[in-house]
Amino acid sequence: MVRTLECPNCGGTVQLKYERTLNAVCIQCLSVLDATTPALQILQKFQGAQRYEPRIPLGSRGKLATGEYEAIGFQMRSIEVDGVTYSWAEYLLYNPYRGYRYLTEYNGHWNDIRTLRAIPTVAKSMSKEALMHRGAKYTHFQTATAATAFVMGEFPWQVRVGETVEVKDYVAPPSTLSSETTAGEVVWSIGQYTPAAAVWTAFGLPGAPPPAVGIYANQPSPFKGRVATTWALFGLFSLVLILAMFLLAIAMPGQRVFDRKYSFAPGTGEPSFVTPIFRFEGGDRNVDVTINTDLRNDWAYLSLALINDDTGVAYDAGKEIGYYFGTDSDGQWSEGSRGTTVTIPGVPAGTYYLRVEPEMEKDGRYHGMNYEIVVERGKPEYIWLFLAWFALLIPPTITSIRAFSFENRRWAESDYGPLVKSSSGDDDD
Amino acid sequence: MFKHPIFALYGMLLLGAASLASYRGFTFSDVDTVRGVPKSIRDNPGAYRAIYSSYHRYSGGK
Repeated sequence: MVRTLECPNCGGTVQLKYERTLNAVCIQCLSVLDATTPALQILQKFQGAQRYEPRIPLGSRGKLATGEYEAIGFQMRSIEVDGVTYSWAEYLLYNPYRGYRYLTEYNGHWNDIRTLRAIPTVAKSMSKEALMHRGAKYTHFQTATAATAFVMGEFPWQVRVGETVEVKDYVAPPSTLSSETTAGEVVWSIGQYTPAAAVWTAFGLPGAPPPAVGIYANQPSPFKGRVATTWALFGLFSLVLILAMFLLAIAMPGQRVFDRKYSFAPGTGEPSFVTPIFRFEGGDRNVDVTINTDLRNDWAYLSLALINDDTGVAYDAGKEIGYYFGTDSDGQWSEGSRGTTVTIPGVPAGTYYLRVEPEMEKDGRYHGMNYEIVVERGKPEYIWLFLAWFALLIPPTITSIRAFSFENRRWAESDYGPLVKSSSGDDDD
Repeated sequence: MFKHPIFALYGMLLLGAASLASYRGFTFSDVDTVRGVPKSIRDNPGAYRAIYSSYHRYSGGK
């Protein structure tokens, strides 16, 4: 039953809708009134600096998951950290069969909160303080003193502007556990992060909700679970890559079509020569021409031309080989290599021979080498599979970095943020 | 895989392309193609003008 009374401070109309209301606030002059006294005794006159308008009008009803609730009270509360005041709005909701619950809003982030009857238990934690509640571990986020800055509507408890409580928040996104401690009383509550659009829909509020700013303490990470699954998918692709590598190795062992040993010493006649003819079968395939030498502190340069005897097409390449070794104050050293490979891509089938022209230093001293020429065809180019593996690393790495960045931004607002650490460091100085 | 359709598609395309490139033997090679090499080269190899002959090379060591 609605009781209509007169505000003893301003004479305005005060309506009391709920029997359990202890304090009511006059909408006109914002005086806090004692609803249990017939004459509405003034408990506190409004002395705040600012009047706030609730986004959810008092008296409006909204359908939440647990039933229909009416917004009956509104208060602004704030904490001060490092000289900065952070304010949030709290809406007291009432359902005659289900009791009270709250909606809080900070910078466009909403939470649906109800008080807890069970007290959470202390959880084992290596770093931050933690609590357990219904199998979930809640990590300490922030401890602060919250002050009531503005009140409006009806409240089933004694409410005063300027009243302070110690608030401790623990998070397990999308849930949060909070304790509010006043003299001799601790009230526990649990909240669920609620999209603003759901609040707008529930209460039929006009327009679109203001966009959320920053990342809230218990805001669910859009990357939760994605990091593990992207790495799992990467693992799956890696297995497929290994399998592809094995299959290629089995299916394409490569065909050795030519292998012969030669010797060379400069100044002993025409250096260039051609090899006997060899034949490539099948489609276009890579050809690897490998030179293995016995060079010792010397270099050699080989001009190579793989020539198609039928078409007159030549694949021309040059390779330098150098191998040096010795001993100095650092011990033994070596530099270069005695062998090299030239890969000629997409060589069609046909009859071929190699034209080889070796060169070595001509400085009056003896230079010479024994070397072997090996021609193989049809070996897979595994480098592409290795490159693909590195390219596959990109998505899970980016996801991990973004998830890490999200959590960093979340915890930057906590008691464990970088600003807190640096300011405590300054104090030590 | 179904949670990450873009990554799945990216991975499958990448694996397909890499397997094909490995199979076909795509390579970035410093090999030049010369056409119309006469058959007489087999009898006179010194007459072939190799593109990479007279290459200035490093000689030395530590």
